[in-house]
Amino acid sequence: MQAWLLDYLPLLIVLSSLLPGLLIFTLKEQQVALRTFLNLLGVTLKLVLVFLMWQGVKEGESYYYRIAFLPGADLILQADALSLLFVVLSSVLWLATTIYAIGYLEHSPLRSRFFGYFSLCVSATVGLALAGNLVTFLLFYELLTLATFPLVVHRGTPQSLAAGRRYLAYTLSGGLLLMLGVSLLHLLAGSPDFTPGGYLAPLLASGSILLQVAFALLIAGLGVKAALFPLHGWLPQAMVAPAPVSALLHAVAVVKAGAFGIVRVVYDVFGVEVVRALDLAWPLLFLAAFTILFGSWRALAQQDLKKRLAYSTISQVSYITLGVALLGPLAAVGALVHLVHQGVMKITLFFCAGNYAETLGIHKIRELNGVGRQMPMTSLAFTIGALGMIGIPPAAGFISKWYLGLGAAEVAQPWVILVFVLSGLLNACYFLPVVYRIWFGVQYSAWPSPQRLSSRFETHWMLLAPSMFTLGLILLMGLFASTELSPLSWSELIVEREFSFDD
Amino acid sequence: MFPALLLVTLPLSAALLMLLWPRFARSLHVTVALLSVPLAGYFLQQILLHGEQQWLLGGWSPLLAIRWQADSLSALLLLLSALLHLLVSGYALAVQARDRLPAAFWPLSSLLLASLQALWLARDLFNWYVCLELLGMVAVALVTLSGDKALKPALNYLLFSLFASLCYLLGVALLYAGYGALDLPLLAGQLEANRLNAMALLLITLGLMLKAACWPLHIWLPAAHAAAPAAVSALLSALVVKGPLFILYLVWTELAPQAFWLPASYLFALAALGALLFGGIAALRTPYGKSLVAYSTVAQLGYATLALAFVLRFNLPEFVAALWLFVLAHALAKAASFLAMGELQQTLGSKQVSALKGASQTMPLAMFAFAVAGGSLIGLPPSGGFLAKWALLLGLWQSQQYFWLLVLAVATLLAAAYVFRVVVLAFDRAEPTAPDFAPQRLPQYLALLPALAVWAMALFSMPLLTLLKQEL
Amino acid sequence: MLSFYLYLGTAVLLVGIGGLGLWRGPELLRRILALNVIGAGIFMLMVTLAYRPVMQGEPADSVLHALVLTGLVVAVSATAFALALLGRLLTRAD
Repeated sequence: MQAWLLDYLPLLIVLSSLLPGLLIFTLKEQQVALRTFLNLLGVTLKLVLVFLMWQGVKEGESYYYRIAFLPGADLILQADALSLLFVVLSSVLWLATTIYAIGYLEHSPLRSRFFGYFSLCVSATVGLALAGNLVTFLLFYELLTLATFPLVVHRGTPQSLAAGRRYLAYTLSGGLLLMLGVSLLHLLAGSPDFTPGGYLAPLLASGSILLQVAFALLIAGLGVKAALFPLHGWLPQAMVAPAPVSALLHAVAVVKAGAFGIVRVVYDVFGVEVVRALDLAWPLLFLAAFTILFGSWRALAQQDLKKRLAYSTISQVSYITLGVALLGPLAAVGALVHLVHQGVMKITLFFCAGNYAETLGIHKIRELNGVGRQMPMTSLAFTIGALGMIGIPPAAGFISKWYLGLGAAEVAQPWVILVFVLSGLLNACYFLPVVYRIWFGVQYSAWPSPQRLSSRFETHWMLLAPSMFTLGLILLMGLFASTELSPLSWSELIVEREFSFDD
Repeated sequence: MFPALLLVTLPLSAALLMLLWPRFARSLHVTVALLSVPLAGYFLQQILLHGEQQWLLGGWSPLLAIRWQADSLSALLLLLSALLHLLVSGYALAVQARDRLPAAFWPLSSLLLASLQALWLARDLFNWYVCLELLGMVAVALVTLSGDKALKPALNYLLFSLFASLCYLLGVALLYAGYGALDLPLLAGQLEANRLNAMALLLITLGLMLKAACWPLHIWLPAAHAAAPAAVSALLSALVVKGPLFILYLVWTELAPQAFWLPASYLFALAALGALLFGGIAALRTPYGKSLVAYSTVAQLGYATLALAFVLRFNLPEFVAALWLFVLAHALAKAASFLAMGELQQTLGSKQVSALKGASQTMPLAMFAFAVAGGSLIGLPPSGGFLAKWALLLGLWQSQQYFWLLVLAVATLLAAAYVFRVVVLAFDRAEPTAPDFAPQRLPQYLALLPALAVWAMALFSMPLLTLLKQEL
Repeated sequence: MLSFYLYLGTAVLLVGIGGLGLWRGPELLRRILALNVIGAGIFMLMVTLAYRPVMQGEPADSVLHALVLTGLVVAVSATAFALALLGRLLTRAD
């Protein structure tokens, strides 16, 4: 690898999905092969580039790319351990989702538009992960809104348009709040690069109210995408989108962008010390704890499979926020590792829900009775994903919840552990009956609209393979959590770097 | 001197020649439009190299002569006008056969360019009056080009415009009575804060606000801009309303005594508040596509008025930068959105917003242009609208205007609501199109061009701010 | 000096009458005429302001006269344009 090329690596990673995406827009509907080729080319290129970057970051190299933008706030793309965690997550899951989407949308109209925006969406996510300062983050945060909106309304039905309107109302308001917060901080402290430990400590002496206002604005803006109560209203409705979109929205792109932003703001903008000094963590902590319970509670009441998964997302993403708000290193490890684990588990569950819907026309939970015999592979994946969500070993979810619990104990907040236990129980209450129906329920009517998608497998291989792939990831991440390659080790590395300043 | 003079005389004389030889009107027009751009670019470069320049036309003494002066702001506006004029000319060429655009478009739009360029250069109160009057009449004549249905709004526009000119003239006469000069640099700093001057400045401001369609004096604008042919609407919204705003800025920052600044800032702030809120709401409610874009102009001018109000109140560089960045970003975005909307309406055959259902499938290019331009109107990064809003936000935080931050937030959401009102509809399922449905591609690309330009604007924030001589 | 104020008063009166006519409307022709009355008032004001006391031997202010002439040309063409538009509007309405 040439040295000059390394300088452009962060930019290339963004462009590797952006350029194919733009090309795809210009394609005709019938050019299936070329479109698929471009999609896979982008995915492969991105994975290779991300791998190179991962190698570099592990060895302590830093990547930095800068373009002039606003005065005093350049556009900066950089790679640190934290951004790499998110980049790897989104690139790997993008691979799975792209294959899934190609299978899912076979023969449906407007595919060039769909895959174009799909690629833009991933470019925005990766840009957001690599953003080196708040202004760059804001830019990609808004671009993500714009790129995901056409995906949400893709079907063009009245429900999806209503969902799209609502999605925009929430996310654009969130973007606006974020912009207000970013501009206030820019005035107070300029827009320096994200720094482990934050860069606002020198301002503490000169007054805290404006800093608190800025924090509130930023968290409110990010909370919309992270679906923090009471800003979660868009998420259940956005379920009308096609399954690969829901999968991507819930696992990687949108909700994770919000959660990732909260991580950045707390650790790299304000810094743990400043957050503690300004008493900012408490409201966030309570809000996250409440959202966890609220989401789980609402999930119980849903009879639609995707809706139940959506409320589950609201609950699960707040684990990340909660872990961050606890302000301890162990909780931070839990939060970061949950960012990855929840993504992989949730995407598996959505793939499975999509498989059921596409193959047999199942949307309601009661229709799942006995589906385990008809579609054993998909059902196995769903079961493992659900068990992981509850936090049962050896699936990945156990690891993150374990660390979150340890983190709560470390900072002496035992009531948080109670929240975890309660939420775990609720998780079990809304997932286990589904699993029971799948394997042991008695099918009482014909499948709603069965389709024969494959002669060899239970469904189209392009739908099955991604779910098997992510299923494998869940098990690997759970079983080999202590190895060097696992997200857990990487999260520990990040936390080491983030918290090393106060040792 | 020479390029500046050519920038005005070239379109002016070409317009007169077009009247003499209507057969060559189109080619003459295109030649002038093509020549104006490099000329304006060269002129901007000269200004950057040698600094501000000024001339007294005819070599008379300052008391008698008409003064022309060009700083980098004027040069930037000259270039912007030339560029947009060229773009609109290209669009007009592409659609003239289909839309049956009358041949009078060519001399009239050349005349429009001439009067605008003269306005950016002049620094003389009476010369501005002549420019404004010419600009107004040519604009009205251009509106009538879309046929009989445009007569009523055009006549209405003309009456408002004439009344505004008379107010302005009366104010200028009162100032002349006191100081015996019309030349801006001669008058600068001379005015005392007395009642006569207050009266004169109020009249001038009233006239200019009427012409610049500042709320609540905007009532002529939506009908006129919506009735005009798309090419004309683009010129009117992008450039013509900015002329009086430019004069207003110079009159207040250079001429008016500082004692008047505070009350004036309240007046402008009030107008801005009304424009941002009511303009946005009107755009949200109107059933017609081009009215929506026209009301959006009213709302967007509110940002510029707000920036002007705060220039007078706080004298922060952020506000001056915000004012001109808004003008530039809005000019590009509005040209794009009017051309795109005109193209959509013409091809889909209806003026209603509801006719745009499914337009993202039937006319993806034009819809994309509209959406991209709309992004700048909302102020999404990295567009020019975002850059301007960023400057305004920094200024407002710095001067602790929390109420206005709230207003700005509401205005942004309103803008988002009216832009996405169209965009969401466009993502609806399209009705099957007729077999002979064949939208023209070139005009759609031309509409896309300024939209892309405005998104690139933020990447050139530093050079732009250098041109505006402001630092953030 | 009295005549100066007389002229000034007339000018103001003309502007006032014109303004009232414009405000009251509603016929378009009436408004066009009212604009002309305002214009006449303003031009009269400018001519009056150009007056210099004869004793000091100064000639009247020729700049203002030039402005009035320019203004008249502009006003006449604007009125003609407005009337032409009105004519087209009315023939169409028939």
